[in-house]
Amino acid sequence: MDARIREAIRYLGYGGHAVDEQTLALIEDSFTELEEAAKRRIIYRIFGVTWGAGRLTIGKMDIASRNLSRNLKDCKEAILLGATLGIEVDRLLKRYSLTDMSRVVVLQAAAAAMLEDYLNQCQDKLRGEFESRGEYLRPRFSPGYGDFDIRHQDMILRMLDADKRIGLAMTDSYMLTPTKSVTAVIGISRKKERCPLEGCEACDKKDCIYRRNT
Amino acid sequence: MITDRLGKELLFFDGGMGTLLQERGLKPGELPEVWNIEHTEEVFDIHRQYFEAGSDMVLANTFGANALKFHSDEYELEDIVTAAVVSAKEGANFGVHDGREVYVALDVGPTGKLLKPMGDLSFEDAYAAFAETMRYGEEAGADLIHIETMSDTYEVKAAVLAAKENTKLPVFVTMIFDEKGKLLTGGDVPGVVALLEGLRVDALGMNCGLGPEQMIPILKEVRKYTSLPIIVKPNAGLPKQKDGITYYDVEPERFAETMQKLVELGACVIGGCCGTTPEHIRAMTSACRGMKVSPPVKKNATIVSSYGKAVEIGDKPVIIGERINPTGKKKLKQALKDHDLDYILKEAVAQQDYGAHILDVNVGLPDIDETAVMTEVVKELQSITSLPLQIDTVNGEAMEAAMRIYNGKPMINSVNGKQESMNQVFPLIQKYGGVAVGLTIDEDGIPDTAAGRLRIARKIIAEASKYGIDKKDIVIDVLAMTVSSDANGAKTTLEALKLVREMCGVRTVLGVSNISFGLPFRPAINSNFYTMAMQNGLSAGIVNPSSEDMMRAYDSFCALMGYDENFAHYIERYGSRTAEVKTGAKDSDMTLSAAIERGLKEEAHLITTRLIGEMEPLDIINQELVPALDRVGKGFELGTVFLPQLLMSADAAKNAFAVIKERFAGEDSLEENQERIILATVKGDIHDIGKNIVKVLLENYGFGVIDLGKDVAPEQIVQKALEEDVKLVGLSALMTTTVVSMEETIALLREKKADCKVMVGGAVLNQEYADMIGADFYGKDAMQSVYYAQKVFGRE
Repeated sequence: MDARIREAIRYLGYGGHAVDEQTLALIEDSFTELEEAAKRRIIYRIFGVTWGAGRLTIGKMDIASRNLSRNLKDCKEAILLGATLGIEVDRLLKRYSLTDMSRVVVLQAAAAAMLEDYLNQCQDKLRGEFESRGEYLRPRFSPGYGDFDIRHQDMILRMLDADKRIGLAMTDSYMLTPTKSVTAVIGISRKKERCPLEGCEACDKKDCIYRRNT
Repeated sequence: MITDRLGKELLFFDGGMGTLLQERGLKPGELPEVWNIEHTEEVFDIHRQYFEAGSDMVLANTFGANALKFHSDEYELEDIVTAAVVSAKEGANFGVHDGREVYVALDVGPTGKLLKPMGDLSFEDAYAAFAETMRYGEEAGADLIHIETMSDTYEVKAAVLAAKENTKLPVFVTMIFDEKGKLLTGGDVPGVVALLEGLRVDALGMNCGLGPEQMIPILKEVRKYTSLPIIVKPNAGLPKQKDGITYYDVEPERFAETMQKLVELGACVIGGCCGTTPEHIRAMTSACRGMKVSPPVKKNATIVSSYGKAVEIGDKPVIIGERINPTGKKKLKQALKDHDLDYILKEAVAQQDYGAHILDVNVGLPDIDETAVMTEVVKELQSITSLPLQIDTVNGEAMEAAMRIYNGKPMINSVNGKQESMNQVFPLIQKYGGVAVGLTIDEDGIPDTAAGRLRIARKIIAEASKYGIDKKDIVIDVLAMTVSSDANGAKTTLEALKLVREMCGVRTVLGVSNISFGLPFRPAINSNFYTMAMQNGLSAGIVNPSSEDMMRAYDSFCALMGYDENFAHYIERYGSRTAEVKTGAKDSDMTLSAAIERGLKEEAHLITTRLIGEMEPLDIINQELVPALDRVGKGFELGTVFLPQLLMSADAAKNAFAVIKERFAGEDSLEENQERIILATVKGDIHDIGKNIVKVLLENYGFGVIDLGKDVAPEQIVQKALEEDVKLVGLSALMTTTVVSMEETIALLREKKADCKVMVGGAVLNQEYADMIGADFYGKDAMQSVYYAQKVFGRE
């Protein structure tokens, strides 16, 4: 089974349960529809990281976050990135929410999986480029996770010129628009970290129904 | 005046500003406009260099100077804008420019926010932000307004209206297209051109996004559609990234060479965007100065547009869906009165699926606030369909309000030959743009000859031209009169169609189904008349796209007249059809409850249709429907049934309910004695999937849901709760940043409507959090909200 489909099933809360045929068909169909609707776009830039007591500064963005500090430990530079599937995906969701909620739920899981997959691919490519010159990338970390304040979203978008470049903006409550979008920080380090924990494995909430590999 | 030279001689803009400022020390994320005050000399110096390089006009450093994007504790927006314009003007005066007359443009970039309903910025707020900056710019002495780097037709409309209504300056607009000629928000070239020409900008074109090479095909496309002078401002190539830094690598000489090509292809105003420098501009001006411009060519296509689509009313007829019109439709009337927008939106989606190209929107009812309802419906419609809309009303206020907030160039239904009507409608078309349906009726009524109707058509076209409205923006409706009251009615209409097409050279429109009023078996007459009308020159029939007869007439006409290449559409639609039998779902021996449990929508429909002949409606509900739903609900709780299945079952049950309701409408036992619940996603929150899931399930269990949508202010929720005397409100929020609004809403409800219970849900919430903000109930999933609602209403 396609890794993206497996992820979508996980987002739908199936945990270890097998997915029924009808839902699986709906998932596959949703990916087909998304291939048509989604306009994947990414923008990233590298900034210097400086360290202070209990805080760090990326470019001109000052951040107090223990989680992010741990994630970026030993990094002197970091990539800021923004990525989106574009506004048509939101329109698709809105349209179906009038007539077919099961499809909406599945589409939204599939879109999340598609976005993660896109980011993974971009990150793999970057990883290759950096490793060839002896630098290593840390797992990506997004504002809103742990104690990395969601309000940094604003500055990240500005530093990337994200609205102009890829049409990625945010609401007054720091929600990204289009909704299927991500901003993140990826640390760049000279040190190779062994098997860095990322995603679910790095999270303390062990009883989450969306947890991977449970 | 710049407008005197525009389109007659080649004019040169400047190049990039941001990159140059960054070279001089501007940090990413820092507001470049602050430099207008803190580093005036640097900004001035860049302007001076551009004038020296041969620019006829420069953009003041005001790209992001609007109240939404520019937040500073230190500086007032007015001072920033004034400083920017003054500094550019000084650059103009002191620069070396060989005695050329030079200009300063107020640069207006996007707000940096997405407009409602996909984002949270209202059209009106966007307008206000642009207007403020533009007023400052004009006062400070800008010669023109250049709105640029726009990727959203709605935002650009707000900006152009702001410029037109608050200043007297010429307006230039350029947008970002991708290599396929699309905007980030999905719009295309003909749609953008239609919108901007309708709003009467002075010049239009493209900037940013692409390099000069990639702009060639886009320019050709723009040139194909526009009658206006074209502006082209490419980047110095496509953006490239190295070490996380964006750069552009087209050198000045190559840039200049390609710009020459662009001028040959029809660009009248050229300049550069990101990555271009004074060297690029110098190379460009020396290579291109003296080149002749090809003046704009007037185009005659009749085009309407939406955010993402342009529809040409041309030789191939188009279908205007007539279903959103309450005349004779009891359910739609009720939906309009109840603000049941979903019903209307579903009607739109259905018509689109059946093949409509444009949707007529009429919400006229005697006892509603037509302006409010019309704007609400138009706003919602344009968020779910890309079909252009036809605003159908006789109420001038409603017409203007809808035209204003419409995201595109609308069709307007209608104007007629009466002076009063023309006085009312044409100024609106002049201001907002649009294609007007002109009815051939005037103070003396409807002429009963084709020649008489032609005379009125001519009168309408002549009057429109006084407003500068070209005849391509008028489509004539020669009116189809009921044939049962006038035996010659159809003949006259058909003759008039032909005459108007031939003599006036305009496109035509017709409400086709009027013809058969009062006759039995109307589809036969309608569809045949439809074909005859198309044969006589009908460009756009206002028809019911869900009528199979009408669509067959249309599809056959297109196939026969060579409008359906290789019969592709015809074969797709009718290819698999040998008989009239619908395949797919079968009314097998499956039970209704099994069909529901398995989430089979069509089967549920078929089986229920059969069952209502055999069982009492209440028995079907109590013995089949409810037990099935309960089992699925229990399974969901136990973790053996998952969300998609739960919702598929809910949809199947909904289908079954619909059959029963339809059949037994009006019978007491099923009359709506529904307990009503308000659902809303709280203010600031635009994620509504969770709320919509809860809605589907509550409806399934017979609750009446008043859905207030997303991003709903506390006051609005409380007001509705009071109005409808609702006992239960469900609130949803996704993030910590919006739980605050949830808390406010609860507090306000407690204060104004203490007997109302509140249940909450959403990704960020848990029991503890819900208690903290004072909710009565926290639903960890959608089923819990159903159980709680049952408890509140004593249904357990």
